[in-house]
Amino acid sequence: MSAAGVKVELKPGAYKSGLKPVWCPGCGDFGVLNALYRAMAQLQIEPSNTVILSGIGCSSRLPGYVKTYGFNGVHGRALTLATGVKVARPELTVIAVGGDGDGLAIGGNHLIHSCRRNLDILYILMDNEIYGLTKGQVAPTTPTGDKTKSTFWGNPEPSVDPCELAISTGATWVARGFSGEMKGLTEMIAAGLEHNGFSFLNVMSPCVTWRGDDQFKEMKAKVAQLPEDYDPSRRANAVKYTREKDKITTGVLYEVEAPSLTDQLEDIKERAMAGNGSPSTKEMLSSFYPSF
Amino acid sequence: MPTRDLTFAIVGSGGDGVITTGDMLAQTGASVGLHVMKVEAYGPQIRGGESSCTVRVSADPIYAQGDLVQVLVVFNWADFAQFRGEILAAPDAIVLYEEADDTPRDQIDLGPETDDVRWVPVPFIELAKKSAGTKLAKNIVTLGLLSELFKLPQEPLELAIKGKFAKKKPEVLEANLKGFEAGKIHASKISDAASGKRMQYTPGEPMLLMSGNELSAIAALHAGCRFFAGYPITPSSEVLHLLSELMPKVGGYLVQTEDELAAIGAVIGGSFAGVKSMTATSGPGLALMTEMLGLASMAEIPAVIIDVQRGGPSTGLPTKSEQSDLWQALWGSHGDAPRVVLAPADVEDCFHATVAAFNIAEEAQVPVIVLSDQFIAQRRETLSMLTLDHEVTGRQVPSAGDLRDYKRYKETKSGISPMSWPGMKGGEYQTNGLEHTEDGSPTSMFLTHEKMNAKRYRKLRRVRDKYSFYRHYGAEKADVGIICWGSSKGPVKEAVLRANGRGERVSAFVPQLLYPFPYHEFQDFIKTVSEVIVVELSYSAQFYKYLQTFLDLPEGHTYVYKRSGGKNLTVGEVEDKIQKVLEMSAMRREVLV
Repeated sequence: MSAAGVKVELKPGAYKSGLKPVWCPGCGDFGVLNALYRAMAQLQIEPSNTVILSGIGCSSRLPGYVKTYGFNGVHGRALTLATGVKVARPELTVIAVGGDGDGLAIGGNHLIHSCRRNLDILYILMDNEIYGLTKGQVAPTTPTGDKTKSTFWGNPEPSVDPCELAISTGATWVARGFSGEMKGLTEMIAAGLEHNGFSFLNVMSPCVTWRGDDQFKEMKAKVAQLPEDYDPSRRANAVKYTREKDKITTGVLYEVEAPSLTDQLEDIKERAMAGNGSPSTKEMLSSFYPSF
Repeated sequence: MPTRDLTFAIVGSGGDGVITTGDMLAQTGASVGLHVMKVEAYGPQIRGGESSCTVRVSADPIYAQGDLVQVLVVFNWADFAQFRGEILAAPDAIVLYEEADDTPRDQIDLGPETDDVRWVPVPFIELAKKSAGTKLAKNIVTLGLLSELFKLPQEPLELAIKGKFAKKKPEVLEANLKGFEAGKIHASKISDAASGKRMQYTPGEPMLLMSGNELSAIAALHAGCRFFAGYPITPSSEVLHLLSELMPKVGGYLVQTEDELAAIGAVIGGSFAGVKSMTATSGPGLALMTEMLGLASMAEIPAVIIDVQRGGPSTGLPTKSEQSDLWQALWGSHGDAPRVVLAPADVEDCFHATVAAFNIAEEAQVPVIVLSDQFIAQRRETLSMLTLDHEVTGRQVPSAGDLRDYKRYKETKSGISPMSWPGMKGGEYQTNGLEHTEDGSPTSMFLTHEKMNAKRYRKLRRVRDKYSFYRHYGAEKADVGIICWGSSKGPVKEAVLRANGRGERVSAFVPQLLYPFPYHEFQDFIKTVSEVIVVELSYSAQFYKYLQTFLDLPEGHTYVYKRSGGKNLTVGEVEDKIQKVLEMSAMRREVLV
């Protein structure tokens, strides 16, 4: 608010923290960060009512670069921290961010359960198909056969499609983006923030250092759009755009309305408190007198 | 001669209504102001299997489970055999056992001294069938029998039965009341057996009957906790259960998470967001939480973790008590991670320790572990409402001046920096598991790391200086002083008071603040005693070794009594050690003369 009480419009730059990103030049995560600044400005999100949480990895450094409340936690646990923030303070805007190793390997269990609970937050997973910070090991999204620092003879394991996982475990908004597509990505982040429930955004975000200069070009060549008449409310439609080999279809694959965890907990609170004030300690203790 | 103190044990299998019988007995005692302590024990089975319920009822305050059972009810000797060495009959116990169970007496092990035991066969099944039409009523028959034999209050028992069957068909209630009558009538036929064991007491005001877990849950709400995240684990789950009912009633929120990692993560998140938050677990869960305890230390986020200890390591003895999570609670960490460890010593303490844990966590912005254990967490005992109040404090909020150029981790003399939370304009900051500067920015600089470590540890000094939680029992100057912690306190206190009653100079010291180490309080105690006995239920003597790191225990005058958990400490064990050390001490004095 200005001195006159008139709300000052926040420009994307107003969300910058001033801390310089540690990312390598050309890292896809810059694109995600810039799209986030723009989406926040588009929705005029109040920085002091916003919390961005992350785990560990290159992309998990992101909270430090946004002028909101931020939490760079421990590896794989961004969603657990986000669960606490959102449940304890439902009125806050909560965003969790991280990479494919953080969210799908060490933190995979929390992703499944955050989807299932329909936790009302936006989770941006920056997918570079590799462990970057630990210098180039195989990740759950690395294609089979790829040589990495830890798969000398080629990756012996199949990869996971994060969007397919999110859809199948209960996320109510699932989208795929590409860090090289600023406009589409900004729109998706804004839409995800506005959705009531668990919004899962998988962003293909190339790693110039460990996946080579060509990863960006290869991804860009594969990017495709959903058909214009696409209906995201049907799971069967969405699943068709998962596990794609030669394409990276971007857009909102899946979107349905369902009560979020916040809605459910508010309902419980209302029922529990119905007509009564909050009981005092003495009243709660009194129920432990013998019942006769 | 009547008695003022009686310990009952009821043993059978899951379907025998053993727990209901014990519950009603305990509630009846509480309803007329008697002091009651009720302990349940089970096998690891989910349903069925052996179960036992021990209820001590006394006209005077009690501090321990009765070592020896004076009245033993056995529905099935095969189930009783599963508690061998745990349920021991007093030398003159009365044993009321199912007549239809013809297990030979030489196959029954009641304990070491049972020559004068009165064996009384009772046709429980037959009485139940005849009076109530079903053998299911044998627990109600038992209640009638016990109340008549030992002069327990019958009116509250009848009310309890009516309450229990109020929602069933009227015939069911009627049948059970008949069962109760049948028990009373049978008692009159065998009343001689109960001589010397009839209760004498003056009825008083009703008392609360609660477990440590229940008190921890309500204490958290009293302290202002409005967010709880937890994962089910024996023997802590009652905290989760009770809070799932009460938390929304006070306007708070609760989540049962997918694992303990998520539970502690959510607690840290909730607390970061400005809401007092807690989790409860047992040893295996605390192990999973260890990494994020370090996060709470590093990011200076208040968090309360209740660890209800059970036998370990690994899955260990899930339903039984032990004091072997001490080192894990104190030192389980990578890096130098300051935390505070509190240990409630009895059921009532679970209330005070939990509120104190919140106060300390919020004031010093550290994780606080409340080391409870199965014995105090799951046993129910009588309490007075009057003792259950505790001052509540909160965290230091930034001033308007602080927020103009906010530094979350500002250097201060106490080490404590004012903490903002989301919604506070100007208070935005990024917190971090990485080492960080005063404003929260990540750094790997040695100098900052050293400075910040010092800041984080400095906060503990304040905790140590402000809080002094310990108990001191017995003689001011003593020949023998016992040091123990947690649930060992009950039997130790009772043993010390008995020794004092005999004129022996014995005392006990029980710290409830375990870390930061209350050095001065320990020193002051040690100065008042000639011989020290450290008592604990940890095979590797974790507590004794912990004391050694900070204290010079008197050389040649320090004894350790330690053993595994799985069986609660008894008064007899403690008395035995006191006697031995007293003798040793006297012998020494003779030699010196």
